[in-house]
Amino acid sequence: MEPKIPKFSDAFLSLLRADFTTQWRNRRSVIMSLLLPVIILVSWKGLIDKLGGAFALSISMNIGLTAIGIMGYAISVSRDRDKGVFQRLRVTPIPTYFIMLSRLIVQLAMIALLTLFVFIVGYNYDKITLSPFGYTLTFITAFIGGGLYLGLGQLIVGLVKNSDTVNSTSRLVYIGFIILGVFGEFGLFGNALKSAIHWSPFGTVKTILSTSMEPASWNSQTTVALLATIIYAIVFSFLGIRWFKWESR
Amino acid sequence: MINNDHAPILEVAGLSVSYGSFQAVKEVSFTVKPAEIFGFLGPNGAGKTSTLSAIEGLLSPVSGKISIAGYDIHKQPLHAKANMGVQLQSTSFQPELTIREIIKLYSGIYGISLPDEKLQSILNDVKLEGAATKRFGQLSGGQQQRISLVIATIHDPTLVLLDEPTAGLDPQSRRQLWERIEAIREKGHAVLLTTHSMEEAEAVCDRIAIMDHGKVIAIDTPEALIELHKNDPNVISVSRKGKITLEDVFIGLTGRTVRS
Ligand SMILES: Nc1ncnc2c1ncn2[C@@H]1O[C@H](COP(=O)(O)OP(=O)(O)O)[C@@H](O)[C@H]1O
Ligand SMILES: [Mg+2]
Repeated sequence: MEPKIPKFSDAFLSLLRADFTTQWRNRRSVIMSLLLPVIILVSWKGLIDKLGGAFALSISMNIGLTAIGIMGYAISVSRDRDKGVFQRLRVTPIPTYFIMLSRLIVQLAMIALLTLFVFIVGYNYDKITLSPFGYTLTFITAFIGGGLYLGLGQLIVGLVKNSDTVNSTSRLVYIGFIILGVFGEFGLFGNALKSAIHWSPFGTVKTILSTSMEPASWNSQTTVALLATIIYAIVFSFLGIRWFKWESR
Repeated sequence: MINNDHAPILEVAGLSVSYGSFQAVKEVSFTVKPAEIFGFLGPNGAGKTSTLSAIEGLLSPVSGKISIAGYDIHKQPLHAKANMGVQLQSTSFQPELTIREIIKLYSGIYGISLPDEKLQSILNDVKLEGAATKRFGQLSGGQQQRISLVIATIHDPTLVLLDEPTAGLDPQSRRQLWERIEAIREKGHAVLLTTHSMEEAEAVCDRIAIMDHGKVIAIDTPEALIELHKNDPNVISVSRKGKITLEDVFIGLTGRTVRS
């Protein structure tokens, strides 16, 4: 008997099921991605009248998206690469890109979960409501912004082979983004840096998220920020995929 | 393609593998036939794993042709891979998944439906009744080896590739594994394994290739290799109790220096 190539749909579903189970068992990374955004929404309650609901929601989501792409995706990919999980899958008769696609779908589900979570906490705790169009648009931009961070995560695992180094690099980038992004936005580091941060990946994602929440305020600057986000995402992913090695040695 | 029993299941011709400027495998050629256990014997760093990685399609060789059940690994990688089962030298499965989930993942990839009773009976077969809900990391070395072999052969492949399958096993587990490997041969399927145990090569392999510094320096049955080299002065000089063993041939041909 000669084995034939199995049906791709069966193979992909099996992969997806395993990846979702892995993510579910890895509750630490799920909680990491949701916890800080919630802490922000809760602790900034008093500031929300002054800063506006969109500001709080967008910072909170932006931090959650960063955690998903950089902490969730990059760290799990580098760990599995180190353990030889990918090599074992690569000797099976599935197209190699299935392996990454399945992981990306899990992370996209995480983005959807985060977005819902932030909307719900924002509504219940901070009484932040958006228009239906605002919610829809924010959902879409969350995926675009999340794509940027997944691309950045891919860039990290493309550049760095050693999983311990990926761990520390990811933490550093994550914390750096939060500090610069949150405090820089208040102009704490001076105006030159404020503008640099505004056009940084963190800044453009912040812009498109907060504007999507109030669609009426969308202007040409927002469109440029959207384009910049997409370009960042494409460049990061392209280089990250190009330099990626399936093996860590 | 139609499987002709005399056609080799694995054909490797002129295979060379490089890492940067370092050539790890040099012009290696051999074939493995149905119902044959073929052993790759060589010191550490000889290029055994690199040869297997090229066959498995994990790396692109500098040159050479590799076909599995008639399918070229580069032109029709998925067909070639559907015909082989693999146990890598250092494999680990996702530590978050249970043994049941891992087996279901791989059977699913091969499009094999595995109801719980069937899965349990497979585990019973390898004396791992209670392992279904355990994690891979919780199993002993021998148990991990058995699970890896179960997964490698879950789709009943015509070619099974095992990289140092008995490394670190106690004698009982090793014997048991030999029997499982022989059972694959009984089905008419081929096995290619690597080892640095002479005892293993003599005990289970029908033919062996001795590999050193990236080259295959001899291919034959263990008996024929001893017969052929028993008068080689290098071999005689390393033999210990007067009788020439496969180990003497191996050390005589590959030298006495310890490899890291
Ligand atoms: N990914 C790699 N990058 C660089 N050198 C490697 C790599 N893999 C193996 N080598 C080198 O190639 C040689 C053969 O290695 P390998 O095929 O693993 O030998 P074996 O399995 O016989 O011990 C060794 O010198 C090893 O250091
Ligand atoms: Mg090896």
